[in-house]
Amino acid sequence: MSVTEYDVIIIGAGVSGLTAGEFLAGRGFKVALVTSGEPTACLSTGCIDVCSRDHNPLAGIKELPPAHPYHLVPEKTIRESLDNFQAAMLDMGIPYVGAPEENRLVLSALGTFKTSCLVPSTMEAAPQDAKDSIHIISFAGLKDFYPSYIISRRKNTKVSVYDAGVSSTMGIASHFEEKEFFEKFIIWLGKLDIQEDKIAFPAVLGLESAAEIVNTITILMGKPVFEIPTIPPSMPGRRLFNALKDYFRKKGGDIYWNWPVIGVEKSGKIIEAVTTTSTGRPNSLNGKAFILATGSFVGGGLTATREAIIENVFNLPVHVPGMRETWFDNDYFSFNHGIGKAGIIADSSLLPTGSPWENIFVCGSILADTEILKNGCGHGLALATAHVAAKSCMEYIR
Amino acid sequence: MNFEHCIRCTICVENCPVFRVNPDFPGPKQAGPDAQRFRSDREKVEDEWVLLCSQCKRCEMACPCGVEPAQIILRAQQRYGLEHPHSLAHLLFANNYYLSTLGSLTAPIANMIASTEMGKKAFRAMGISTHIPFPKFRFRKLHNENKNLNRGRRKVAFFYGCFINFYRPDIGRKIIRLLSSLNVDVVLPPQWCCGLPALGNGNLDLARSFAQKNASSLSNYIDAGYDVIYTCTSCGLCLLHDYPDILEIPQGKKIAENSYDVHEYIIKLINEGYIKPDFGEVRRKVAYHIPCHLRALDIGYPAAKLMAMIPGLEYEILDDACCGLSGSYGFKKSNESTAIQLGNRAVSLIKKTGAENIVADCGSCRMQLGGISGMTSLDPAEILCESLRITGKKSRV
Repeated sequence: MSVTEYDVIIIGAGVSGLTAGEFLAGRGFKVALVTSGEPTACLSTGCIDVCSRDHNPLAGIKELPPAHPYHLVPEKTIRESLDNFQAAMLDMGIPYVGAPEENRLVLSALGTFKTSCLVPSTMEAAPQDAKDSIHIISFAGLKDFYPSYIISRRKNTKVSVYDAGVSSTMGIASHFEEKEFFEKFIIWLGKLDIQEDKIAFPAVLGLESAAEIVNTITILMGKPVFEIPTIPPSMPGRRLFNALKDYFRKKGGDIYWNWPVIGVEKSGKIIEAVTTTSTGRPNSLNGKAFILATGSFVGGGLTATREAIIENVFNLPVHVPGMRETWFDNDYFSFNHGIGKAGIIADSSLLPTGSPWENIFVCGSILADTEILKNGCGHGLALATAHVAAKSCMEYIR
Repeated sequence: MNFEHCIRCTICVENCPVFRVNPDFPGPKQAGPDAQRFRSDREKVEDEWVLLCSQCKRCEMACPCGVEPAQIILRAQQRYGLEHPHSLAHLLFANNYYLSTLGSLTAPIANMIASTEMGKKAFRAMGISTHIPFPKFRFRKLHNENKNLNRGRRKVAFFYGCFINFYRPDIGRKIIRLLSSLNVDVVLPPQWCCGLPALGNGNLDLARSFAQKNASSLSNYIDAGYDVIYTCTSCGLCLLHDYPDILEIPQGKKIAENSYDVHEYIIKLINEGYIKPDFGEVRRKVAYHIPCHLRALDIGYPAAKLMAMIPGLEYEILDDACCGLSGSYGFKKSNESTAIQLGNRAVSLIKKTGAENIVADCGSCRMQLGGISGMTSLDPAEILCESLRITGKKSRV
């Protein structure tokens, strides 16, 4: 028996890849996950957007166009994937709040609201309307967080600035996990004598123990405390990635870092192995089934050329939304860029349509017709389709 | 160098251990691709902060766009080294191999000097940190050992590295016995420092001269049908990545194609059906600290696969934290605070696991984590030996 022979090989370390991996590894399958670099999930707000089209995400999903991949997932599986996610994150010490029937709002760094479904507990106390007065604690020199944006939209907002000695998100987050720094900070915070209803922070309250830190400040100040997600480097995104990764490994999965797939070994309709670059000898991993979770354009799953859109690993057929002229809307910030529909079309087992291979399943944002920005469905769709792809893999192997 | 591929997503910055604790280092994005756009061949490099990069390569592992910030910074460090006088500590650590040879010849005296208050003061005056005890030299270096212990079909040339040779030859002997017991014929080829310390201290020429000597020695063995195995993950990374690349060693590709981490090699032998080790029980929980350079080798965590075969052994993999020592990096006074902060963080994660021992492939990780935590830290090969009931002592056959 080969030690490096796997049941399933997952390509991509984003929310969908790690979730599919955890699902399979937790059921006794031997799973390897390969990735070239860390996923775009690290850059995200860490919030799980299920569908932002309706106040009830599950109802919103029903309103999506018929081609949307959400329609391939039974509602029961969507619920199951969200429940499972919440239980897993609780286990890893970063609890998520929310329920699949109800969207909630997260205050953004611009003072606008972002609609999401499950949010980290550190954002639970975010105001849900314009009423609450808030006191923002910012940090001297912190780049890319300007409370004035929020003040311009919310009249009853105050700001105080703390000098943490460092000005980077990562550096401040790191300090918050040191006892001495935290104690000094709390004394300073107490002296402010805050009168507003709630206290807000940019999302820099620690990396490993953010939930505890927010709880502690809440108790000490006697007021609700919440984090405002920042642009990258995003601590909530990194906390999410770390927790998913550790959970996958806890279930027994192996991760291969810096492992871009550059070739495949095949026989008939079966992919037998994937290979990577190496300065030395060829480096390959064998598997019985494969899950492609490489993401869309930014994630590295798809590449657009002048003429075509290419799937980078297996060269699977890609759904191209019309001629190139229709790929982009004139308005840069539009939600209606045609290219948002590009991706892999799959059947209800998430086997790609028109694929020459029978042991590759796809999940996550590489799927066609997702229009993730417009539908507000990024991580939610990733979780749901990961469950479907993982179940299909299980059935295929049996 | 592919710095144009950087989309400035900052994932590398999030992964940089130095950036996390030292505000003087601008992080891999700025020190690497960003600054590279402004580096000109006609201008002297003045950014001394390039020396603050510890070359852990975490940024390269994390980059989703294939940019190699550490490699860009490494080249900037070499240029800085060419254009500026080297500090005493940099000079000493670049020449670590020669100093250690001296230290090992005079082991009792050298160890005594290093452990006295006077000795420590002298170290600090030279810019060397004493936050953990300096490793002890051993009189009998590894290459004085008996060579072939067992006739087997597979032949390997063992590149043991300076740490094993000067400080822990006992581990080297254990690895030789481990491989012999697995029916592998082990020889110790003539070898010098791999060159990484010289490279890390901005001394490209010295690194290249070490590399050339090693390359011609190892290359002869490869031609004679030997596989090369290494145990130090940093030596391995240097052999596999730096020889063919920045050091431009002609035999570099051949060496990279034929060199294996010792655990990777054992797994290869198991996969090929050559051996079927009968692992005995080791009832213990260990924290497996993954050295940054093992991550960077792109071979997964082979020792973890072997530990998974040992009955009773429980292990938890920790690969998020750099130990902070990074070879000679943390022994420099200028990096002392970085090394201590990172070391404390890594140790606190280890303590959370409730493990009895630390396991790490890299000698300098073990030195740092063991030194800070006071826990016993072992090489994975020591656990394998324990499981296979192999002692460090010579068996009388």
